[in-house]
Amino acid sequence: MMDRIAALGRLGFNVVATVGRAGYFLGGALAGVPKPAVGFPLLVRQLYSVGVLSLAIVVVSGLFIGMVLGLQGYTILSDYGSEAAVGQMIALTLVRELGPVVTALLFAGRAGSALTAEIGLMKATEQLSSMEMMGVDPLRRVIAPRLWAGFIAMPILAVIFSVVGIWGGMLVSVDWLGVFEGAFWGNMQSSVSFVDDVLNGVVKTVVFGFVCTWIAVFQGYDCVPTSAGISSATTKTVVYSSLAVLGLDFVLTAVMFGDF
Amino acid sequence: MAQRTTEIITGLFMIAGLAAVLVLALQVSGLSPKSAGDTYTLYANFNDVGGIAPRGKVAMAGVKVGSVRSVTLDKETFQARVELAIDADVDNIPADSSAVIRTSGILGDQYIDISIGGDMESLSPGDSFYSTQSAMNLERLITNFASGK
Amino acid sequence: MASEAYITLTDVVFSRSGRRIFDGVTLDIPRGKITAIMGPSGTGKTTLLRLIGGQLKPDSGTIMVAGENVPRLRRKALYTLREKMGMLFQSGALFTDLSAFENVAFPLRVHTSLPEDMIRDIVLMKLEAVGLRGARDLMPSELSGGMTRRVALARSIALDPELIMYDEPFAGQDPIAMGVLVKLIRDLNSSMGLTSVLVSHDVPESLSICHYACIIADGHIIGEGTPAELRQHPSERVQQFLQGQPDGPVPFNYPAPDAGSDWGLTGGAR
Ligand SMILES: Nc1ncnc2c1ncn2[C@@H]1O[C@H](COP(=O)(O)OP(=O)(O)O)[C@@H](O)[C@H]1O
Ligand SMILES: [Mg+2]
Repeated sequence: MMDRIAALGRLGFNVVATVGRAGYFLGGALAGVPKPAVGFPLLVRQLYSVGVLSLAIVVVSGLFIGMVLGLQGYTILSDYGSEAAVGQMIALTLVRELGPVVTALLFAGRAGSALTAEIGLMKATEQLSSMEMMGVDPLRRVIAPRLWAGFIAMPILAVIFSVVGIWGGMLVSVDWLGVFEGAFWGNMQSSVSFVDDVLNGVVKTVVFGFVCTWIAVFQGYDCVPTSAGISSATTKTVVYSSLAVLGLDFVLTAVMFGDF
Repeated sequence: MAQRTTEIITGLFMIAGLAAVLVLALQVSGLSPKSAGDTYTLYANFNDVGGIAPRGKVAMAGVKVGSVRSVTLDKETFQARVELAIDADVDNIPADSSAVIRTSGILGDQYIDISIGGDMESLSPGDSFYSTQSAMNLERLITNFASGK
Repeated sequence: MASEAYITLTDVVFSRSGRRIFDGVTLDIPRGKITAIMGPSGTGKTTLLRLIGGQLKPDSGTIMVAGENVPRLRRKALYTLREKMGMLFQSGALFTDLSAFENVAFPLRVHTSLPEDMIRDIVLMKLEAVGLRGARDLMPSELSGGMTRRVALARSIALDPELIMYDEPFAGQDPIAMGVLVKLIRDLNSSMGLTSVLVSHDVPESLSICHYACIIADGHIIGEGTPAELRQHPSERVQQFLQGQPDGPVPFNYPAPDAGSDWGLTGGAR
């Protein structure tokens, strides 16, 4: 019994210590403004590997999810004779929820795990140490550009996801199932608000992007520098990011769209 | 890959992101750059607004001509006072037109439809509709029918 | 000791995971000389280099490098001091996303604002010094272990440091590469006046090039002096290590409980 309580205490202590380390780590990475001539190419490189390389999976997933929404929405709504509302259903679902959340989950799996593994391996092969010994702070040189890149790429990926999804939904409902195109867009436009729906969705993705990238780079930086350590850090990145995204999504939705 | 190619592709990626935001703004949420502010205000009083809420559609002959700006309660008449923002280019609504609350489909959204009258004069900004027809309330309809009134 | 000390460790105590790795180490490393630090694997030779580089902080004691107390330095001062240090890691630690050329150019690009053609000249000169000018365009994954370490050496001398620390430079090298490295280390020291710290458990190579050597075991320095002095050292433990005898006072095993208890014999044997 006492052992259990002690184990719980140790767990709590570890959690607090990890959160503290993660915060300290974030401070170190974001402190100080880099010289643009040095920082810009590093950022572009990371935007490429974090953002551009995740584009394919985001576009394909967005397309299919939009098409499924179109199909399901049509089937359900046509029972009530209001299949013209399918456009508004697709757009609201994508812009408010699926765009930010699914993109964040894909991002954690595609880019987050890669970031963790890359940084973990740099740690294991002493690249981070040797950088420190060359008088270069790896937090600023390696971590900061990746953090910013994730932060910037995530909202871009999410809006692209939503647009592709809406297009996919239109393809199915208008072109295949014959929903009247004017009603499709008209219903959508009268019910989607740019500020309340689109911008709130973008705020969500900014938060998700920040959290996912932070978790990914921290797990890499903090991992045990062995093969097993890196693999467990990569798993943790995906699990923690997914849980954080789903939990935060509930909180943000309640704050943004809830009536209180 | 050469730094330059990476830079170009990344630039294209950011442009794609901006374009996506534009699509979401213009095509999906129907924000049109010119219409902002180009509206005038009309009022309509209803006994029952049903599901009409701000941002709701206002249509004439099924075509969208404006939106609901606010719904308030008039404390003297105990009627709902709805403020409508009508597109500025629709400036010839006959003065005896009426505002009717309709439903798109059976369970669809409610919107305000303007039934055209025959008057030569038009409503001018700030006017109220002379006649209105409140939301059809299924429940009340059934109650009335059952009690034989 | 004739020349002044570049690095001075005084009563350094350091523990890791509850195990005391250094228990009061005091050591002077002379300026402009090659100092070899020898000892069995796992005694904390790499740890010692990390302490000197400020990557780890001792529990107590001072570490003076070029007149500065490393554990007490603030971040910025520490990073400035490190520009004067080069360290050759056991694995080489090249940046895997950069070519050999770019690896050597890295410290130059970060710490200087030299024009591109000058950087190119310096990099090629450093690569030539390690005999790998022709391998400049290869990626680290295309280099053999020995070549990796030589490129890493070129990188650590790119900024012409005052101090260079080699962590096991000879481990896993073929005899020719070993000979090349020995010559390189000696040349770098004599031509540039570098203070060199060489960590190794290769006794003959180390003793053949160092001016001064010390042997660490069990968290203490058990013997120090010039190679000639060490060979004549009266201590049994020093002689055991230098001659590589399996039996002697220096334990080969990691500290362990009594063997009998691990195999479960203690109770039954009685
Ligand atoms: N990250 C670490 N955490 C805990 N103990 C470590 C760590 N790294 C090394 N050690 C311990 O420190 C001791 C010295 O390691 P090291 O300096 O690498 O030895 P050497 O380089 O002499 O072979 C070893 O016994 C090892 O168990
Ligand atoms: Mg070692």
